[in-house]
Amino acid sequence: MLTVVVGAGRSLLGSLSNNLLGAVKTTHEVIPRLHYNSIFSQQQRTFIQMRTNLKVVDNSGAKRVMCIQALKGRRGARLGDTIIASVKEAQPRGKVKKGEVVYGVVVRAAMQRGRCDGSEIKFDDNAVVIVNKQGEPIGTRVFGPVPHELRKKKHLKILTLAEHIA
Amino acid sequence: MRLEKCWFCSSTIYPGHGIQFVRNDAKIFRFCRSKCHKNFKMKRNPRKLKWTKAYRRLHGKDMTQDSTFELERKRNRPERYDRNVTESTLKAIKKIDKIRVAREARHHAMRMKGKKAIEQQAAAKELEQSIHLVKAPAALQEDPSLTLPKMKIKVSQSQMEDRMEE
Repeated sequence: MLTVVVGAGRSLLGSLSNNLLGAVKTTHEVIPRLHYNSIFSQQQRTFIQMRTNLKVVDNSGAKRVMCIQALKGRRGARLGDTIIASVKEAQPRGKVKKGEVVYGVVVRAAMQRGRCDGSEIKFDDNAVVIVNKQGEPIGTRVFGPVPHELRKKKHLKILTLAEHIA
Repeated sequence: MRLEKCWFCSSTIYPGHGIQFVRNDAKIFRFCRSKCHKNFKMKRNPRKLKWTKAYRRLHGKDMTQDSTFELERKRNRPERYDRNVTESTLKAIKKIDKIRVAREARHHAMRMKGKKAIEQQAAAKELEQSIHLVKAPAALQEDPSLTLPKMKIKVSQSQMEDRMEE
């Protein structure tokens, strides 16, 4: 029995059936022989879609942001894509305020993304860097590791600000 | 192209295999297959799992220090391509592998050295103590020697043929 993890049911079912990596494990199936801790480790990670909370990793002033639209991608945004988001939590004196609608680039995603050499990369959490409509970051610093995929997507400014490129 | 080592089991990861997980402190964990990845997610310590190289090295089952390992260390400086250097490097790799395998075999032989003597002693002791499981007690009283007595029976040719016809 499949239980819906997050987001719209129709799109989620589609993503589960076409999932590239064949990791079609369901999260909440209760099989008595499973150890208690392996239920936690088999979490199915999916795309970044509407209502996904993301961490903001630059000094633009926002702390948490909720995705309201993933540009490009029927099922959602992945590592390196841009999203439109609403600021849910912000620092008192910052460039963005709570309730603003901003663009963001996903720099860390818990869902694995395939690389052109055949391997896969995944991060610990979902993180975003706030950009303007042209794709330039609003903040002046970026924290934490960022992936190589940004180079292909032409987000070079974010790469130069990054402290570690995965 | 670079051949990496799996963080968990220390086997080589060839291109196109495995997942790499980037933690938020920018530490990269590479896994050769999902077995290692799942064990990592379960927070198992590779030094306690018998099938990993970490365990084997820690418990002295495999060689730990050897000069052949120095030649395999990770070098971060890119070398300018030189055909002769590449050729000699490839030849050297083959030779070093041969030497390393020979040394590992010698290490294994040293480890297993006293085994045959111990096995012989254990067998002799068992024979002495548990001979009653093999021989009937009446026979033991008759003939206290440990070997079965040899009995020579003269069978004439005609008797043998009669028996075979039956």
